Amino acid sequence: MSTATTTRATPATSSLASSTKFRTFAITFAVVGSLTYLVCLFFNWPLFTFHPATNRIILGWEAARSGEGPNMTWYGWTAMALLVGSVVGFLATLLPESMTRKIPLSLVWLVPILAVPYLAWDLRQWWFHP
Amino acid sequence: MQISVNTYWTILLLIHLLLAVALLGSLTHQAVSVAMPVRKAAGPGGFVTRFRAVPAAGYATAVCILWVLTFIMGSYIYTKYRIYIRIPIEQAGHWKTQGFFDFKEHVVSIGLVLLPAYWYFWKNAHNPEYDTARKMTTIVLAVTCWFAFLVGHVLNNTRGFGS
Repeated sequence: MSTATTTRATPATSSLASSTKFRTFAITFAVVGSLTYLVCLFFNWPLFTFHPATNRIILGWEAARSGEGPNMTWYGWTAMALLVGSVVGFLATLLPESMTRKIPLSLVWLVPILAVPYLAWDLRQWWFHP
Repeated sequence: MQISVNTYWTILLLIHLLLAVALLGSLTHQAVSVAMPVRKAAGPGGFVTRFRAVPAAGYATAVCILWVLTFIMGSYIYTKYRIYIRIPIEQAGHWKTQGFFDFKEHVVSIGLVLLPAYWYFWKNAHNPEYDTARKMTTIVLAVTCWFAFLVGHVLNNTRGFGS
């Protein structure tokens, strides 16, 4: 059986995959989106709050109301990360390539790895609940 | 034909599970192929060699689509989970189980925003500039997927729909 390297592929043929603007957008979106999610989590800044028992959606954060079940902010944090990541990613494509090339690729995977200890700390109420 | 509410949510949960299984398989193949690439001609390979000797670049688009579909399905189920599963779990005092679920929701959201970059790295797999980023992003997504899968499984064992 011939088992040559399989991770190499032929050069990208789709316009998106060969676009330097998409490269800039994708890398910026990954880094800014991840960081935005963590910041929103820290400060509890959801784009909106969802109340599943009543199907109410409120812009920003709103506490659970008495008799109306719990509130959900995860959708709002995720939406905020997608929105801010998209906007900043788009703005980054307007910058000269000489500048955007300087964004370290390692941030794409380093930010999620570094987020793990922060997330563990953020969830400490569950680990140490009496 | 009418189905009960529990059956409805159980079917959705099973679809979520099946999508996750497909995603897990794709990402695991890909992660192993970049972490331990088969670089030279060899004799008849064993299971592990064949497992990592896949055309990994061809999985990238499927992984992105599967991640998004699994995410959307999980997000929809989450509305029901929040009331009918989470509250009883908290009442039963399964604090760490709940903590791991929250961990899962955070890491899958972060995984979601990595997808465009991950796709780009794989579509440019001929370019050595992206080798490390492609390898590490794939491994991060694969570990995330395994973690989310196992947490979801344990959570369903703790209290599933209809229990």
